[in-house]
Amino acid sequence: MRRLATIAALLCATTGWSQEWRHYGGDAGGSHYSAAAAINRDNVGQLDVAWVHRSGDADRPAELLRNSSGQATPILLPPAAGESLVYCTPFSEVIALDPGSGERRWSHDPQVNTASLRPFRCRGVAYYEETRVAQGADCRHRIFANTYDRRLLALDALSGERCADFGDSGEVSQYGREKAADQISNSSPPVVAGGLVINGSAVIDFRLAEAPRGTVQAFDSLTGELRWSFDPLQGKEGSGAANVWAPISVDESLGLVYLPTGTPSPDYYGVNRPEAIPYANSVVALALDSGEVRWHFQHVRHDLWDYDTPAQPILFEWQKDGASVPALAQPTKQGFIFVLDRRSGESLWEITEQPVPPSQIPGEKTAATQPKPIAPPPLLDPFLMPEQAWGLTPWDRGDCARQLAELDNLGLFTPLSEKLTLMFPGSLGGANWGGGAIAPGGGVLVLNVNTAPFAGRLVPNAQADAAADGKDHPTAGQRFLVPMKGTPYTVELGALVSPLGIPCNAPPWGKLMAVDLVAGQILWETALGSIHELGPFPLPFHIDWGTPNLGGGIATAGGLFFIAATMDRQLRAFDLASGETLWRYTLPVDATATPMTYTYRGRQYLVINAGGHFMFNREAGDYLYAFALPDQRRSQ
Amino acid sequence: MRHLTLFLFAFAIAAAADPLLVTDPDGKPITQAMVTRTPLDVPEADLSDDGYAPHGVTNISAVTVTRFTDVQGKVNIAADGNYFYRVRAQGYQDLYSDTAEGILQLAPMNREQYIASYPSNVWLSRLDFGGDRELKETFQLNCAFCHQQASPFMRNERTVAQWVSIIERMNTYGARMPTDDIRPVAELLQKEYRELRENPGTVPEPRRWETHLSSIEMTEWPIGDGFSQMHDFLLHPNGYVYVGDNLFDRIYEIDTDTGEYTVYKVPHAEDARLGGILGNRFTVFPKMYNYMGVHSFAYSKKDGNIFITPSMQQALLEFDIETKEFITHDMPGGLYPHTIRTDDADRVWFTMALSSQVAMFDRSSGEFTLYDLPARSIKEWLFFKALPLLFSLDPEDRPLPSPDRESTGLPMPYGIDVAPDGGVWVARLYANDLAHIDPDSGEVTMIDFPYSGPRRLRADADGNIWVVAFQVGLLVKYDPRNKTFSEYPLPVVNELPYALNVDRDRGVVWVNGNQSDTILSFDIASESWQLYPMPRQRFFTRDIEISEEDGAVYTSNSHFPTWQSESATPTLLRITPLEE
Repeated sequence: MRRLATIAALLCATTGWSQEWRHYGGDAGGSHYSAAAAINRDNVGQLDVAWVHRSGDADRPAELLRNSSGQATPILLPPAAGESLVYCTPFSEVIALDPGSGERRWSHDPQVNTASLRPFRCRGVAYYEETRVAQGADCRHRIFANTYDRRLLALDALSGERCADFGDSGEVSQYGREKAADQISNSSPPVVAGGLVINGSAVIDFRLAEAPRGTVQAFDSLTGELRWSFDPLQGKEGSGAANVWAPISVDESLGLVYLPTGTPSPDYYGVNRPEAIPYANSVVALALDSGEVRWHFQHVRHDLWDYDTPAQPILFEWQKDGASVPALAQPTKQGFIFVLDRRSGESLWEITEQPVPPSQIPGEKTAATQPKPIAPPPLLDPFLMPEQAWGLTPWDRGDCARQLAELDNLGLFTPLSEKLTLMFPGSLGGANWGGGAIAPGGGVLVLNVNTAPFAGRLVPNAQADAAADGKDHPTAGQRFLVPMKGTPYTVELGALVSPLGIPCNAPPWGKLMAVDLVAGQILWETALGSIHELGPFPLPFHIDWGTPNLGGGIATAGGLFFIAATMDRQLRAFDLASGETLWRYTLPVDATATPMTYTYRGRQYLVINAGGHFMFNREAGDYLYAFALPDQRRSQ
Repeated sequence: MRHLTLFLFAFAIAAAADPLLVTDPDGKPITQAMVTRTPLDVPEADLSDDGYAPHGVTNISAVTVTRFTDVQGKVNIAADGNYFYRVRAQGYQDLYSDTAEGILQLAPMNREQYIASYPSNVWLSRLDFGGDRELKETFQLNCAFCHQQASPFMRNERTVAQWVSIIERMNTYGARMPTDDIRPVAELLQKEYRELRENPGTVPEPRRWETHLSSIEMTEWPIGDGFSQMHDFLLHPNGYVYVGDNLFDRIYEIDTDTGEYTVYKVPHAEDARLGGILGNRFTVFPKMYNYMGVHSFAYSKKDGNIFITPSMQQALLEFDIETKEFITHDMPGGLYPHTIRTDDADRVWFTMALSSQVAMFDRSSGEFTLYDLPARSIKEWLFFKALPLLFSLDPEDRPLPSPDRESTGLPMPYGIDVAPDGGVWVARLYANDLAHIDPDSGEVTMIDFPYSGPRRLRADADGNIWVVAFQVGLLVKYDPRNKTFSEYPLPVVNELPYALNVDRDRGVVWVNGNQSDTILSFDIASESWQLYPMPRQRFFTRDIEISEEDGAVYTSNSHFPTWQSESATPTLLRITPLEE
């Protein structure tokens, strides 16, 4: 009965929700939901390209483009702010488009230094109406954008010009600005609320024992002055990061800002950080106006697995037995969804403590237990035994079984040792930065999940190849070897695959799931992605065994869930109620971004940034695709 | 005498302080509130052998003491020193205090909290497996002998596929869920746990704690850690208690007077492998060191030496009580030495669970005698005959029959005891029968047991055999003279009794609880029960020892895995009557 009611709520949830898309995550709470319903289950099959915009990045040197990924989700500005569609390119250029035609209205290129090896990306920008500026004056309507090199820009939403009253001619330097981008950069957009622009950072946290700290800063949205900052390490030395690289959520009615914090550095070795760091790998709620900690919920203690909090905390109303609780859902890389009362941080599902295998690394002391919610169920089963090895043929299946049998493999939270160790889920998740979509009323979260296994080990520095120095996480089929400077080890990571390059577990290797957060159960799950382009030559038909995926999806009142994210260049529409694929479109390159939708002049559009992804070793691009139903207005 | 000294000492400490009064917020006294005293100052232990005490090293345990308030809501438990006190009562939120004097007020739980606090057995009682009683018993037999079912860890929402994966993994650990039952059980667990979470109000209240509790004291000695499994133990006439860590091949010799414990590491052959001759079944268990598999204990009435069954080897261990050295007696055959007892003739008797035998080690001759218990079918007989061949193969290459509901090939002799007349009694868990061995003639007599799951048994002073029927939750008495069975339902719902012991002097049967966080006593004369709630949740007991001197009762928390227990540490526990 609850299931029927939930599905009905999914399909009928329209009232009071916006058809606009003013925030990166749809709204300030990351719901990834739109009340737009013109495109629905009955007509989605007619969806077609409305316009295509290209940023021009394809004209950049090939090595730069290959080292980039278009991951942006545009926002639609309100009419008073020019009603432009605004997004950022991997090279931090901010571009405003006509939402009906895709024509460029203005752009601003901050001219970032591209000498760094760190991959280029930018997931979005933020909009704010600055009421301290007179109506009609420049920069009453502002766009805030991060740059690759740790600047925060304030631009006039109507013209794209810099706001002269903000910082130094429209920009401020953020924490770590003086460091190279291959130590600290940005990926997610800032959030703006209560006259403050709040920002985290993207830190390479596996390469240095003392990486840059994960300091979060709040700047005055008018002047750019620093109002408060928050150090998740609370002054502890010997480590760094615990940074907030995933999007931040805000509940202005409660006066709280919710930070998804990451792992202290380095990711896979913790001897240098033996003390508890309670604000790392946590959701930390700060007072919006002061930055003071109101509560925190730590979902991984003494992280040795790179289980950052990867996704925007998703705010929703938990409705059960006639009561409504302001709640927060936090998907995690390790495959759990924690559901919290966002006023207090208390879990709405009972938490049990799971054991953690001890480390074999000298001096490493793992946490005794790790928290696990009693519900919803894990997004994937983290046990993978030799007898569960999978292969296309007995030969590669046997090879996978052999590999699995030789691994250190004690289930979830097995720390890396000097022996190759199973990482399942690996640092890709489980869930990742695509987050999830939740329709109002029902409490059903739809999200994409990675299910391919990884393996890694710690190599004593004396035995490691001194020349090896991976720049980021491993690309498809590669092993990644990075010295963790300041520690005795180099970390080696890679996907666990057969000699044919196929993951060693049974498909799907990526999936889409609908999780009822209130009932604590999975409503449906389905493979996400086809492998038909991943072999030595592309096949003319789809094989829906799922693929690794990055980027997220959105839900609409039309009963649809739109997502790309896969390694097959597809943008898909699923039936929210059943998980059935209703429509798909082949893009020129993979779209590892989250789509968005809006209604402009009576017509609903669906927009996706297709830019490939360096990690998947697939072709890069500079596309922004808009889709719509045939324009009935023109034909009438 | 040692215990008496300790009791007087403890009593003196408590009597010197004002009694603590425990009340509700309105000032109404709460009776049978459980108050536990835990020391804050404990010397740092030497755990330098991979997190455990090295061989021969003595550490001090953080000994806790628990008492219950009387009908006036009062209890004497305060002691000099640095302690914290936890106050727990049914329906109230735990309260922690650094003092146990004056008045402590407990806040009531809300309904949700109260139901969540119920022990596992009442939750388990609501799983009816779609009305399939036999399937539920199969589930309980195979899934509840290591850990509590229906605890919060088990009530986790899981998909059917996740349940299947777990059950299949548990079958590699030692469960024998029949292949055909795996998926139906997975589907029912997924469905019925969800129904319970959505309708917790249907879960019955657990039995209330009763007034006899204010006249006892519980003492606990935490030993090992969350990865340990304290299996059986022995109260030795020398006053020490010897506890075996089944997963780490260690014997803990506990001085209950001082809290000191010395650890003796059981040696193994140089070429022994983890998991012994059975192979390592726990490939994904986080941490272990069980080359021998310390299981069950008995002492020689002649010289006090301790005999230990190492389940993972074809051997019997002897621990010299004076030199503290281990002697390994290699056996000529038989597999899985299990429960062990000694008789007055200095013979050592133990079951061989896998090869369906009973072994007798005659200390005077140093010879082993193996008694074959009958196969239930030709197929089973053939399987027994093939065992030596099978065990000549590497564990990874060893073919084993798929489990079925009859557990064909594995009748599993389990519990054993020596009756006052010297007769040896054995229960076969999966075969639902009892065996009697005449030690003089060697004659083996089989007796059908009319209930499911006879696990461990004990003889009383009159020669009656008391048996726990595991998956049907019964205490059963067999009168060998009249060849009659009498059943005594346990006073708590859905308890699955693992073992028992008989206080022959006082005519009391003590039954191990493992799902209800209790142990239970049954007065033979009055046929009445009393319950003793354990101080930690998810307390799974497997063995009981009784002090002849004062009737003090010992048990241990043997939950596997231990980390699911409250505080995640195994403990030895003693219940002692308080002096008036």
